[in-house]
Amino acid sequence: MENVEKKLREEAKRLLSEKKVDVVVGYEAGTLPLTATPCFITTPEETERLVWNPFCVQNLGKFVHDLLNQHHEAQKRVKPEARRKKVVGVVTRGCTSRSLVIQLQEKQYEREEVVILGVPCGGYVDRKKLSALTGGEEIREGSLQDGRISARTWNGEHQAVLKELLADNCLTCRFNRPVLADIEMGEAATAAEAEREYEAVRAFENLPAEERWAYFEKEMAKCIRCCACRNVCPSCYCRICFAEQSQPQWIGIGSDPSDTQLFQLMRMYHMVGRCVDCGSCVAVCPMGVDLRKFLKKLDSDAFELFGHRAGVALEEPAPLGAYRENDREDFIFDPKSGA
Amino acid sequence: MEKRVIRKETLAGIVGELAGKMRVCAPMKAEDEVLFRVLEAGEKPLIEFANAKNAPKNFLFPRTETLLKFTRTGKGMVFAGDQKDGGETLLFGVRPCDARSFTLLDMLFDQEKYRDPYYLDKREKATVVALGCVRPPYTTCFCTSVGGAPLSSEGVDILLTDLGEAYLAEFLTPKGEALREAFGGTPAGEAEEKQKETIATQAAEEIRSRIPAREIKPILDARFEDPFWNTLHQKCLACGTCTYLCPTCHCFDISDEVKRADGIRIRNWDSCMFPMFTKETLGHNPRPSQKERWRQRVMHKFRYYVDNFGAIACVGCGRCVMACPVNLDIRKVVADIAKL
Repeated sequence: MENVEKKLREEAKRLLSEKKVDVVVGYEAGTLPLTATPCFITTPEETERLVWNPFCVQNLGKFVHDLLNQHHEAQKRVKPEARRKKVVGVVTRGCTSRSLVIQLQEKQYEREEVVILGVPCGGYVDRKKLSALTGGEEIREGSLQDGRISARTWNGEHQAVLKELLADNCLTCRFNRPVLADIEMGEAATAAEAEREYEAVRAFENLPAEERWAYFEKEMAKCIRCCACRNVCPSCYCRICFAEQSQPQWIGIGSDPSDTQLFQLMRMYHMVGRCVDCGSCVAVCPMGVDLRKFLKKLDSDAFELFGHRAGVALEEPAPLGAYRENDREDFIFDPKSGA
Repeated sequence: MEKRVIRKETLAGIVGELAGKMRVCAPMKAEDEVLFRVLEAGEKPLIEFANAKNAPKNFLFPRTETLLKFTRTGKGMVFAGDQKDGGETLLFGVRPCDARSFTLLDMLFDQEKYRDPYYLDKREKATVVALGCVRPPYTTCFCTSVGGAPLSSEGVDILLTDLGEAYLAEFLTPKGEALREAFGGTPAGEAEEKQKETIATQAAEEIRSRIPAREIKPILDARFEDPFWNTLHQKCLACGTCTYLCPTCHCFDISDEVKRADGIRIRNWDSCMFPMFTKETLGHNPRPSQKERWRQRVMHKFRYYVDNFGAIACVGCGRCVMACPVNLDIRKVVADIAKL
């Protein structure tokens, strides 16, 4: 990890010094123990702040999209001859690279507007698992050494093997290297148990419909509609989200459960074949809603019905964004025949 | 003011019993979190906890509340009040920072010119029992930087201080006095008072997180257009978690929900972090990006509230620091502004 971090800083520094990029989006140490936070580096000197470790959680694809989108908008107000290109460098692991592929497929920006700094990834730490380790006690100090995490609270020292604290999506991830990169650093990380990817989905599918619905209702009841899930999602970039439209108003602003359920259902259905299972929505949810349970089912449908994995290759667009004559359609007329 | 000593093991039971007589809101374990909620009769509240994840403001200023009802009739609109009366309420286990937040909210909702009857009705019926912090609950606590203290009695009706074997209970207001009998205990002496003072000094020293909250006021006065604001917000997800958990944030939105001839007017929490917050009917938004929204959040807390009411609109509870999904730490923001 240290080597990757060192190389990352060097490459970022070089790119900024040579003016190959305007900004590098990466991670820096957070202000709380055992955290990292997104950062935006614009000068070669600041590159020393960059870190790469298992506390780097969010998919940075969201920021790449926003930076370039804002730049494109601002350029519209500039005379054509004075317009300039902006290039964003981005620290990219497997899931982030797939998000960039989706954004490129959906023509959000040009390939030359991003410089992809590929890093190997062995997964990131789930804050909720970390919190469970300390029994909800505040972590006052913490460290990661030789694959072991230790966290000190008022009640003493808590220790765990890193792997036990990794987020669920990381445990079955098959993308330990980026699928697309301009500069790659470090050796491939240890592969996760990819063959178990859909185990949890299968188990959930086998429950009676009433139980599945009850679970959905229970999880949705936690949602406070802060929309952090939507806002962190690299695939959720509509200029005006349906949730915020007022003519017509799709979603009421009160606390009626059906409004929350509708918001989440609509958002999920926009994710079919576009969700890279980066887990960012789950990681940022302040209420701990189990969104992945439902998103992973849609991901599994996209794979089983269309043989599609989101953002794996530039030339393979999402099934709902492309038309093929031999597309399956039996499940539309007879829902039971499909997945 | 009466001071009494209450045996430690009896406290939860006393509150549980009160829950049968009045509405009692207290911190309770909920899955992995500690959250304020209304107790059932006889249910015992948590006594040992850091702080609740949500602020108790919800009981005075609910997340969503009906203001009035209306019906369209042949003779025009008919309006009716629809205020729910929660009755006398005991807010138990409030930390002194959160109790202080009530006095900050009073400044806004209880002004000479504008009085908010919905808030004030609940406020008048609420008795605040605070559990003083004999040691700071979190490393992120910074109450002493914004005018508070671990054993502050601002906004408190009954202040409880953990003396080890027992609690010192100070009945600070008439509302608190009214509950003296229910809390029982024995009269406190000078020894207990002295012990409390020592604890207060120690606890305040233990608060290591310090921010230049007052010092940035003149900087904010002069730096509305500073380039600092251009990058501050970059990682913000605009989720508003900071504002929802904040004990002092109080912005709201009013909306009508209508079904056929009947409708209700509801008031909901809103947040300056949301893109829709200042969007005007014609489509224009005077705060078009997260830059302006973050500037507003900082300005409101550390400049405008000071101008309007002479107090910083932050009690230093540290909830926003701990809950922000991207670790946009207000302590660092304030420290960075101080360097401008």
